[in-house]
Amino acid sequence: MKSVSELTDFYYKKLHPTLKDLEQDRKKVKKRVITIGVIYTLIAALLFFSLFEYMNIEFIIFSLVGYVALGGIVYRFLISDYRNHFKEKVIRPLIEEIDNSFRYIPDLHVASEYFNRSFLFPSPDRYSGNDLVKGKIDGVDLTFSDVHAEKEHRDSKGRRSYSTIFKGLFIISDFHKNFNGKTVVLPDTAQSTFGDLVGSFLQANNFSRSGDLVKMDSPEFEKEFVVYGSDQIEARYILTHTLMEKILHYRKHSGHPVYVSFRGRNIYMAIEYNKDLFEPSIFNSLLDYKIAMEYIKTLHLSIGIVEELKLNQKLWSKHG
Amino acid sequence: MSTPVIIAIVIGIILVLMYNSLVSKKNQVENIFASIDTQLKKRYDLIPNLVASVGKYMEHEKSILQEVTKLRAEANKPNISDENKIHLDAKVTSALGSIMVAVENYPELKANTNVMHLQHSLNEVEEQISAARRAYNQAVTDYNNAIEMIPTNFMASAMSYTRKEVFEIPDTQRENVNVKELFNS
Repeated sequence: MKSVSELTDFYYKKLHPTLKDLEQDRKKVKKRVITIGVIYTLIAALLFFSLFEYMNIEFIIFSLVGYVALGGIVYRFLISDYRNHFKEKVIRPLIEEIDNSFRYIPDLHVASEYFNRSFLFPSPDRYSGNDLVKGKIDGVDLTFSDVHAEKEHRDSKGRRSYSTIFKGLFIISDFHKNFNGKTVVLPDTAQSTFGDLVGSFLQANNFSRSGDLVKMDSPEFEKEFVVYGSDQIEARYILTHTLMEKILHYRKHSGHPVYVSFRGRNIYMAIEYNKDLFEPSIFNSLLDYKIAMEYIKTLHLSIGIVEELKLNQKLWSKHG
Repeated sequence: MSTPVIIAIVIGIILVLMYNSLVSKKNQVENIFASIDTQLKKRYDLIPNLVASVGKYMEHEKSILQEVTKLRAEANKPNISDENKIHLDAKVTSALGSIMVAVENYPELKANTNVMHLQHSLNEVEEQISAARRAYNQAVTDYNNAIEMIPTNFMASAMSYTRKEVFEIPDTQRENVNVKELFNS
């Protein structure tokens, strides 16, 4: 697989003419967004103040929410062409450069069945995503996309609202072993929030999780993660000392919370970014090194999972 | 309800919880030990085949082969204690490791499909045993902690629960250098 520096070279050298064109487009779109934004805000403010005396607090909140929501729709509409060009002309070539067997479908996402099957999060009421990438790396199937899973809430008046369960990158990879139980590795929020004593108690009595707490014999791993599993032995069969080290390393690399589960023939990984990845920001230049690096690093990290976990070396034997 | 009755009920509940927690920890240890036993048996079943396959070639390692056969015979004796099983396992692991390393010096053996298949099966069993040992050690640590820590230690001594021994995990396995990796390197 291509290294991050090779990909950065590719980004700046091979994509340069495209980036220059896109950068011109970006500036135009930015200008348009600011102009329309200002006009839109002025009209909204004018309407707001002329109707202010007839408004109660609920109506004020309602109009503010409406202002933000409509603004969002207008913004998306204004940048949609630029966004599509960016995905086709920057993200697609980058993915193909990593491995030309990869298929990139900007509008699709990992199916919700896989998300539910991972047992990493509760079933969402609303599920969306984009930027699906599918392919094989060193003979191992790999699929990932951006995912946004939300839970629905209703207040006493029946009004609906949504809270985020998970937002970030969701990765599924195949490996050469079929597991009977399920093993789930989660960031250790209880212990890091409440300390060792209370945290350990909360972990051991986690009623929202099926499966028992599996204490692992690696202090560094235990500090970062908590493991639940339906089979104490199988969990340790999967999580060898080598694999625990690799997951720790991956967590350090990504710099974001990492969730991993093993079920059936698959390994599921979720990396929480709390934002939509691979989306162009019209307020930042495409020629900005930091912005470019973020796209490349994220792509490299998601595809590098196979290499990081060495799934291709058949970490788990095929038979048995 | 009077205060003494409430206190008696609370104490009763605490005692029941402590008792149940100790019993569940003991059962967890026994349950996992049973899984290790199954895996150990699988490994012992592979030994005669392995000795037969490599014995013809390995002139210099005859003593290890005899040792491993003797250990197998000992392990297969009826009514052998858990402590003994643990000690025998450590010896067998080390003897098998030596055999596997020695195979490296015999190109005929490395090319033999039967030996390759045995290596693979043995490696799979080794991985399973290693996982089961780690699970067992954790269960034993929880159990030992419970019988030594206040207040469960009083209940444990009343139930005549005693400390249990853990499996010593060889350093090589801690680093996850298993038989298969020794082979492929």
